[in-house]
Amino acid sequence: MMSFSERMLKIDRRIIFLVIGLCTLLPLLYPVGLPIKISSEVRGVYDHIESLPEHSVFLLSIDFDPASKPELYPQAIALLRHAFKKKLRVITMTLWVSGTGMADQLVTQVAKEMGKEYGQDYAFLGWSPGGPAVIINMGQDLSSAFPSDYSGRSTKDLPVLEGVRSLKDMTYMVSLGAGKPGVEEWYVFGKDKYKFEMGGGCTGVMAPGLYPLLRSGQINGLIGGLRGAAEYESLIGQKGKAVAGMDAQSATHFAIIVLVIMCNAFYFSLRQQRG
Amino acid sequence: MIFLRRQLPLLITLITGLLFAGQYYVPHPASEQMLTSATKWLQIIGGFALILGVTSLFHQHAVKITRQEAGWGYSLVLYAGMLGTIAAGLWADGKEAVDGAMTAFGWVYNFMMVPLQGTMFAILAFFIASAAYRSFRARSREAAVLLVAAVIVMMGRVPLGEYLIPLSGDVSSWILNVLNSSVRRAILIGVSLGAIALSFKIIFGVERSYLGGGKE
Repeated sequence: MMSFSERMLKIDRRIIFLVIGLCTLLPLLYPVGLPIKISSEVRGVYDHIESLPEHSVFLLSIDFDPASKPELYPQAIALLRHAFKKKLRVITMTLWVSGTGMADQLVTQVAKEMGKEYGQDYAFLGWSPGGPAVIINMGQDLSSAFPSDYSGRSTKDLPVLEGVRSLKDMTYMVSLGAGKPGVEEWYVFGKDKYKFEMGGGCTGVMAPGLYPLLRSGQINGLIGGLRGAAEYESLIGQKGKAVAGMDAQSATHFAIIVLVIMCNAFYFSLRQQRG
Repeated sequence: MIFLRRQLPLLITLITGLLFAGQYYVPHPASEQMLTSATKWLQIIGGFALILGVTSLFHQHAVKITRQEAGWGYSLVLYAGMLGTIAAGLWADGKEAVDGAMTAFGWVYNFMMVPLQGTMFAILAFFIASAAYRSFRARSREAAVLLVAAVIVMMGRVPLGEYLIPLSGDVSSWILNVLNSSVRRAILIGVSLGAIALSFKIIFGVERSYLGGGKE
């Protein structure tokens, strides 16, 4: 007969799924709203945007697709709101073909909310094939990489791009990446050669991999996962989906910690029983 | 024929490899112009690569369907999905919305692709929790260190952890900034040195596997 520890170690995984499901759902229905501490990584991006003078050129590369929407979409919304509030000239684009429609909706939605005019205050360049080659091409000649924007208008005729001929003319750039091409590619093929200031945003699982870039100053800030988005929302004073999701994330993290402790307790108890 | 199949590609690789490695260090307008043209070519080739990828995918699944291999029904779904999306995309001229009204292509994107991709990613949380319960055990000293670090980082990255144990945020930040960064950097340096060595081997024709097999 199986011992209690053995039975617990072979617990039906559907029970674990149920626990995680409840830990996600309940805090979303009944939010607690615990305070969120701002990290220096997120503050790096915020402070830099805050320090930019009006009409500086801000490039936001939305390098993710709907799979990473829960984590990166709130980051993009918070960044765009901040940039529009600071009256920056906002240029947006994507290196992920499957994220093009989502990026267009995102930019249009925030611009409408902030009362910004297309072409005058912001532009969405869309997607162009080539991945890292697009970055190099933009560094050489922006209108060659994107002869027209997403809606088919010539980029040379857009007032928002006046005086912007290549990546060298960008005051600040942030890549919100969910993989490759993303933050690393923007640094390697873009910032390193064309010398513009750059920050990054990524999913939670990718963040540890980007810390070397952050520590060496290759990027001046990093917004990591939903937590990073929640910090940014708190900084700009417009709490949104990320802050709302933090309670759910707190609960699921704790559920996983409890599960790991339990499984180890049963594992050691079983080892002791077997001598 | 051997010249076209073997020597010419090797020669092109040698010349372009050396030329563009050197180009990075030469900021002369002619050198920059060469880079502009080359990246334009790369973008065009990237576009063709997409067509090649789609064609290859179609071919692979067509074989599965005609041979009625295991799971050929999924290939049929793939065909229906791909052809349907391509047709909707061409019909809508690649636009998700026209004058504020959603096109069929936009509908496919918003109500099929977005939720499907979101679901796939969301399922991960459940599987990670289940996998953590089953395999995250302190079987050795190294595994125990990993386990403790993971628990601290998981606590320090959420408000509840910082609320219950205020120090967890700082410790988690130290683990990420110091321990994680140094190890990642070591891995990066190793990988980069390997990439440089491999690039030299490819440029000088020592590594030729990219040429593929076939008769000489």
